[in-house]
Amino acid sequence: MVGWEGTIALENQAAVALEDTLERSAQGDQMAFAEIVRQHQGMVFGLACHFLRDRWLAEELSQEVFLNLHQNLRSIKSPAHLTFWLRKVTSHRCIDQARRQKVRPQVSLEDVPEPFTRATENDLLLSELLKRVVDTLPEKARMVVILRYQEDLEPAEIAKVLEMPVNTVKSHLRRSLSILRDKLSRTLGEVTQ
Amino acid sequence: MSRLDDELRMAFRHEQPSPDFTDRVLEQISRQPAPRIRWWQTLVALFQPPTLKWVAIGATAALLVAIGASQYARLHPGVIDDGDKVEKTADGSSAGASGEVPGASAPDPRRVAQAPPQAPKPRLNSVRHLVATSNTKPRDARPKHRLVNPEAEAARDKVMLALQITSATLNDAQQAIRDDGYKAQP
Repeated sequence: MVGWEGTIALENQAAVALEDTLERSAQGDQMAFAEIVRQHQGMVFGLACHFLRDRWLAEELSQEVFLNLHQNLRSIKSPAHLTFWLRKVTSHRCIDQARRQKVRPQVSLEDVPEPFTRATENDLLLSELLKRVVDTLPEKARMVVILRYQEDLEPAEIAKVLEMPVNTVKSHLRRSLSILRDKLSRTLGEVTQ
Repeated sequence: MSRLDDELRMAFRHEQPSPDFTDRVLEQISRQPAPRIRWWQTLVALFQPPTLKWVAIGATAALLVAIGASQYARLHPGVIDDGDKVEKTADGSSAGASGEVPGASAPDPRRVAQAPPQAPKPRLNSVRHLVATSNTKPRDARPKHRLVNPEAEAARDKVMLALQITSATLNDAQQAIRDDGYKAQP
């Protein structure tokens, strides 16, 4: 049984290991860089995939992000800075991509079908419906929601990543959640109240 | 925490790309040409903290050596000029290899006739003689006429001070490097 002290010790050990990996990859160690990619690909690809809703495009974008990281490894100061940098670059690239290629699905909020049955726990259909409703949001609002729920970031952290005022982030979140509640009220019933 | 939050967390979990994603990234990196380092990037790198210390030490040392060299250059012609003056005073009217000093007045024939015969003096070649005497004699025994130029004395003092500062700076740098070495050791 590992107590909280043991947990903190393990976390510190992991942070030191990651710092070492970062240092080695900055010195040109390809294996260390591969380790960094493996550790962060879930986050980068997740952000891109949820935002673009296209796995192939998301993989392309994630590759570009990691190539960019490889070119800028010397400017990364710590593991925390690395995570922040990856979130920031991925978010901005996703928003740019969506604006440039009009990737955003041409589905309006009204076109999203209502589910016929009541949702159950971990309902995949419900998850899919939530994603489709989030897809209808404007680019920045969409990225705010994804960063909030995928990365579990606070509004202040989201504001730093997206370089926007905290109040804007809060209002995006409020408005998006309101839309989601309205749309899904029949599905989630009284639980959303 | 509402159910909507939970459902959103569930919907927006981390996603994993295809299994060969890392290999493809590494392959693309290996295919990319090595990044070209431009001259301004090298220049900027000089002003980054680890390199900045060495640049500052090098620039200070170079500056001090340049000051020392310029002061020495100012001092050196002064010594040679003094030597010429000494040559004139020591040999009097018969100084120089040709027996005539350009611009000097011709000797008075009466004084030459009345003058007692002098012992033959060694022919002084001004700079060589001074160099030879300065090299063989100890510092305090150097002829006084070498120290008559106050400007040269001041310049020499400045050179000595510059060399002392250089020495102190290099000592500090060596100490700093040694300290860094100790810190870097686990």
